[in-house]
Amino acid sequence: MKLDFNFILRNLPTFLEGAVVTLELSALAILCSLVWGLVVVTARTAPSRALALAATGYIELVRNTPVLVQMLFIYFGSAVLGAPLSGFAAGLLAMTLQNGGYMAEIYRAGIEAVSQRQVEAGMALGMRRHEVMSIVVLPQAIRKVVPPFTNQAIVMIKDTSLVSSISVAEMTFHAKLLTDRTAAAYEVFLTLAALYLAINAIVSAALRLLERRVAIPT
Amino acid sequence: MVAVRGVSKWFGAHQVLKDVSLDVAAGEVVAVIGPSGSGKTTLLRCVNLLEDFQQGEIRVDGEAVGYAGAGAARRRLPERVIARTRSQVGMVFQSFNLFPHMTVLKNVMVAPVRVKKMPEAEARASAVRLLERVGLADKLDAYPARLSGGQQQRVAIARALAMQPKVILLDEITSALDPELVGEVLAVIRQLARDGMTMMIVTHEMQFAREVAQKVVFMDGGAMIEQGPPRALFADPRTERLQTFLKRFREGYQL
Repeated sequence: MKLDFNFILRNLPTFLEGAVVTLELSALAILCSLVWGLVVVTARTAPSRALALAATGYIELVRNTPVLVQMLFIYFGSAVLGAPLSGFAAGLLAMTLQNGGYMAEIYRAGIEAVSQRQVEAGMALGMRRHEVMSIVVLPQAIRKVVPPFTNQAIVMIKDTSLVSSISVAEMTFHAKLLTDRTAAAYEVFLTLAALYLAINAIVSAALRLLERRVAIPT
Repeated sequence: MVAVRGVSKWFGAHQVLKDVSLDVAAGEVVAVIGPSGSGKTTLLRCVNLLEDFQQGEIRVDGEAVGYAGAGAARRRLPERVIARTRSQVGMVFQSFNLFPHMTVLKNVMVAPVRVKKMPEAEARASAVRLLERVGLADKLDAYPARLSGGQQQRVAIARALAMQPKVILLDEITSALDPELVGEVLAVIRQLARDGMTMMIVTHEMQFAREVAQKVVFMDGGAMIEQGPPRALFADPRTERLQTFLKRFREGYQL
C-alpha cells in the first residue's frame, strides 16, 4: 500500500483544530484532577473514620469503572436530569472524577513516603495537624510524586480521545469524520497517533525537567 | 518550669513509665540517664506530648500538658491547645529531623513565621542571630543534606531556640553523630546552659551530664530510681541499680 502524504498535509489544519481542543481538555482535566485529588486524599487520610471510608469507597468506585462509561453516564444522565452538560463539560467532569481518585492514591503514596520523624519535628515546633501537612509533608510528598504524576498525565492526554464518543470535536473526533468522508484510514490514524506521540513526548520531557528543577538538593 | 507528677504510660499491657515524678526549675539543666529501654526518651517525649500517657500530669510553666481533669473526668485537650503548648517547648531529636526541602535559614524561620505569626523580617533577623550563635552564619542558604551531622544538629538547636521556648528537650542529640562531631554540638549546649536556658537532657554522655546538669535523674525499667546533684549521684550512688549502671559505664568511659 502507498501512503498519500499530500492528503495528510491537506488535512493538517483540521487535525490542528482538533489538537487545540485536545490540549485544552487535557490541561483542564490534569489541573482539576490535581486539585480534586488533594481534596480526596485529605479525606482519605483524615482522622475521621467515616470520612476516610467514604474517600476509599469513592476511589474504588471510580477506579473500577471505565472512564468512557462514566463519561456516557454523565453526558446522557445530565440530559435526563434536565440539566444537560456539553460533551466537553461531561468529559472534563468524568476525567476529573476518575483521575482525581488516581491522583489521591499517588499523593497518598508520596505522603506515606515522608518520614514520621518529619511530622514529629513539625508538631514539636507547635504546628497544627494541617500546618504540618501543608508546610512539612506535602512539599516533600509532591516532589516524590512527580514521576508517577507524569505517567498519569500521559494516560489522561490519551484518554481525552474518549470524548470523541460524546461529540467533542477534538483530534480523534476529526479523524473519525475524515475517515468517514475519505476512507483514508491509514493516513488519518497514523497522523493521529503521531500527533498524540508528539504531545506526550513534549509533556513528559517538560515534566522530567520539572522533576529536576524541584528536586531537593542533596 | 516543668513538673512531672506520677506519670504512668502503657504500651498495651506493658508499662513503660511507672509513676514518674520530677521537677525542672527555671534555668535548671536536668539530665536523665539510664540504660536503653529505661523509659527516659519516652518520658521526654511525654513532656511535649509526642507520646500520650495514661496517668499522672505534666505541667510546663503551670500549664497542663495534654490532659485536663483527673480520674474518669480526665480528657485530652483539643489539638489547638496541645499545639500551643508544644510551641513553648523546644525539642531537638537524635536524628536532627531538619526539613530537607528548606534552606538552613528557612528551617529556623518557618515556625516563628507560620506558628507564632512573627513578621518575616524579624524572624529572619532572629534566625540569622541564632545561626551565628551556633557558628553557622556561613550556611544560611545551604540545604540540610549538604551539612555534616554536627552542623545539622546545630541548625536543629537554632530551630528549637527560634521559638523562644520556655524549656528545651534534648533527646540523645549526639548519639547519631560521628565521635569527632560530638564536641561542637555539646559546646553549643554548654553555652545555652550558661545563658540560663531551662533544659531536660536525655543522654549517654555521662561526662557531659555531670558537667552541665544541676540535677541528674537515673531511670531504669520505666521508673525513676534516683535523683540528685551530679557530684553526689555519681560519687555515691545509693541504689544497687545505679551502681551497676555506673560500673558498666566506668568500664568503657572515664567518669
